Amino acid sequence: MDFILLVINSFSLLMDPFNLTYVVLGFLVGTIFAAIPGLTATLAMALLLPLTYTLSVETALMACASIYMAGMCGGSITATTINIPGAPSSMMTALDGYPMQQQGKGALALGHAALGSMFGGAVGALLLIAVAPFVAELSLLVKTTGKFSLLAFAIIVVVIAQRGRIPQAGLAACIGLMLATVGLDAMEPITRFTYGDSNLTAGIALMPVIIGTFAIAEVLMQACSPSDDLAVKAAAEQVKIRRRDFIPPWSDIRKIGFKCYFKSCLIGYFVGTLPGAGGSMGSFLAYTEAVRTSDEPETFGKGNPKGIVASESANNAVCGGAMVPMLTFGIPGDPITAIMLGVLVINGVQPGPQLMTDQAGLIAPMLAALLFSAVVLIPLTLYLLGPYFIKMVTIRKDVLYAVIALLAIVGSFVATYSTFQMFMALAMGVLAFYLRRNGFPVITMLLGYILGPNLEEFLRRSLALSNGNPTTFVTNMDSLFFVLLTFVFIYFLVIRKPVQKTAASRSKS
Amino acid sequence: MFIHRQNAFLYFILVVSVGYLISAMSLGAPIVDNGLTPSFFPIVVGAVAILFSTVLITQSLRNPPEERASDEPRNYTHLWVVAAIFVYIVAFRQIGYFISSSLFVFALIMIFSPLEKFLLKAGISVLVVAICYVMFQKLFGVRLPTLWG
Repeated sequence: MDFILLVINSFSLLMDPFNLTYVVLGFLVGTIFAAIPGLTATLAMALLLPLTYTLSVETALMACASIYMAGMCGGSITATTINIPGAPSSMMTALDGYPMQQQGKGALALGHAALGSMFGGAVGALLLIAVAPFVAELSLLVKTTGKFSLLAFAIIVVVIAQRGRIPQAGLAACIGLMLATVGLDAMEPITRFTYGDSNLTAGIALMPVIIGTFAIAEVLMQACSPSDDLAVKAAAEQVKIRRRDFIPPWSDIRKIGFKCYFKSCLIGYFVGTLPGAGGSMGSFLAYTEAVRTSDEPETFGKGNPKGIVASESANNAVCGGAMVPMLTFGIPGDPITAIMLGVLVINGVQPGPQLMTDQAGLIAPMLAALLFSAVVLIPLTLYLLGPYFIKMVTIRKDVLYAVIALLAIVGSFVATYSTFQMFMALAMGVLAFYLRRNGFPVITMLLGYILGPNLEEFLRRSLALSNGNPTTFVTNMDSLFFVLLTFVFIYFLVIRKPVQKTAASRSKS
Repeated sequence: MFIHRQNAFLYFILVVSVGYLISAMSLGAPIVDNGLTPSFFPIVVGAVAILFSTVLITQSLRNPPEERASDEPRNYTHLWVVAAIFVYIVAFRQIGYFISSSLFVFALIMIFSPLEKFLLKAGISVLVVAICYVMFQKLFGVRLPTLWG
């Protein structure tokens, strides 16, 4: 209850003109980046990261929250109007959004998407505000061995969640762990893998890793896969959207049913709490559930607004869910929460179980901004700027990528005023580019890099406390819980799936 | 061919992983007096990385990736971008933010667009660099290097 009051009080901080400017600007930047195919809100946040040095932690986190929320709903604009999802989480929205656009109901489809996003974002944020303090209290019960098992669980789940490319995900996680071991050892005064370079003594900094992985790699990806800008521009110019058509009629909302809104929100929220799942999986599962429970499943994919609502409610509810493990255990659920974690680390705040109890005042404004972005900024931005959004895809890509590269490189200089960090950002960008090009999920590399130091430290401390006895991981209840949970996930994500496939193939034969 | 263009990256990762494992082993014994030393974790990570690399290379050799269609042009634009960034970083402190950034932005615009309208693109480059200067130096108080010190 105290935390809820703290969040309510944080609205006064949010309404401070300086903070509000950053929140609104963050939302607009997030929307623009999410709407333009090829760019993502993750990229927007990576570019913002260096600027957080000059902002207070609260302001930086509030801006991050609004970018996150905008990033989840912004992708629906191009998904609906020109059938090119601006963000991966809006892929399911395109299935029904674009057919509605073809039927001349594009504005209505955007209205349904905004309403679903608003609902999902709000429910996700409210659930986060209500649940996070309890999870934080529970997390205090997790001791050293349990912490190791939890971190191992997070990495393993992220790896096995990458179905069809588990070896690639595992190797990417190992690369992240390798990067994490560079520099001074956490427990003994010994440097590792620095090869005599004093710049590496403190390890590889978070800033160049994030900027390289998300900004520079993205510019390189765009450089070698040119998009058909002319076709996109031509499609965008044909779209005519009127402001008065945005508001969905009450009859449509009743037909969709509040059950669909709530169910999709809950699906999105719980998917968000799983490491590595993200908005795409949330919207996919909610859409599938909407089709499964519908009386007229044949209408999905042909312009059924229920499909749009299910997808958008779920992907925006993911925002609240993904922050639960990030705030309570220091485990990011997706790339955006990983960057948020970076904002905390850069500002000297240690994420983890103590964060919610010791520094709730830093976190509460961010949650207020998340709720504000969902309830106020999503509908307001759509109504005021909706007709102009589609024009954003006509922006000059050459200038855009040049600006992104400039901000990324200069941004990596800002942290330490050192050109070494700029070279490091370039090196990380090249590495992430080749990983992505070869089908490696970079989120697992990033998670390995972020969680690696704690994973190693808790492993060594656990074994030191038990005189080197490895059974400590199954004799301590908190650790045993996460070990069993890991096996449950392995069963459902790796073992059970092939069994079903085998059964299906047998029945076919 | 044993090494395809597509799996050359896997061999590179394998070589790096082996090098990492050897470096980790040179840090000393992984376990001393029932306690883990700084070499234990890197040795495990290196070994697992080699395992995954080997699995992926084996998969790749069993199912060789389809060769690129001969009429599809190979795109090396990303290498130009990497080169431009490298030169920019080298020049950043030497010739200052304004000149190096203007040249860098101009170079990237040229890489990402047809070679035409040079004056317009040069003008856009200077404008972009000036806006970024205001944002970094004036708005966020970041000291950017200048030609004069």
